[in-house]
Amino acid sequence: MSASPPQDQAGASAGTVGTPADFLKGVIGKRVVVRLTSGVDYQGLLSCLDGYMNIALEQTEEYVDGAVVNRYGDAFIRGNNVLYISAMESI
Amino acid sequence: MADLSAQVQEPFDLVRLSLSERVFVKLKGERSLVGVLHAYDGHMNMIMSDVEETILLVEPEEEVNGAGTVQTVKRQLEMLFVRGDSVILVSPGAR
Repeated sequence: MSASPPQDQAGASAGTVGTPADFLKGVIGKRVVVRLTSGVDYQGLLSCLDGYMNIALEQTEEYVDGAVVNRYGDAFIRGNNVLYISAMESI
Repeated sequence: MADLSAQVQEPFDLVRLSLSERVFVKLKGERSLVGVLHAYDGHMNMIMSDVEETILLVEPEEEVNGAGTVQTVKRQLEMLFVRGDSVILVSPGAR
């Protein structure tokens, strides 16, 4: 068993795939949906994030069961709560 | 708000810029705080003063209504240490 992940040379050279780190670099400045493990969604402009996946969002809308329940001009989200980050526009 | 984005290179910058300001903090357990932020660290442990805590009490089985009822309880706290692991969200300029 190899410890390293398989290297897809064709995919990498085609530029169609990237690492998770590449995705995170690419989504900065884009509109995203951040889902927390609690099921709450935050939609906003991703200012920046760090290695703990702490996130700074601008123009943030908080969604519970698909409805906006709160708006924040800026929001810091503690990384441990994050389930996923979804890009709402092409990277 | 727009020019703020230039000053925010990492998420903690957002919190640093809120020092001595009123902030809104969403915590685990349906609790939230509004108060003045005095200090924080990398765990997001925080020292806050002049705090109003709002607790959402959801009672699932209400005999009269049949449906669950939501009740909010508020209390004032003069000075508070918040353990970082209960923090979900921090937002500057709290209403």
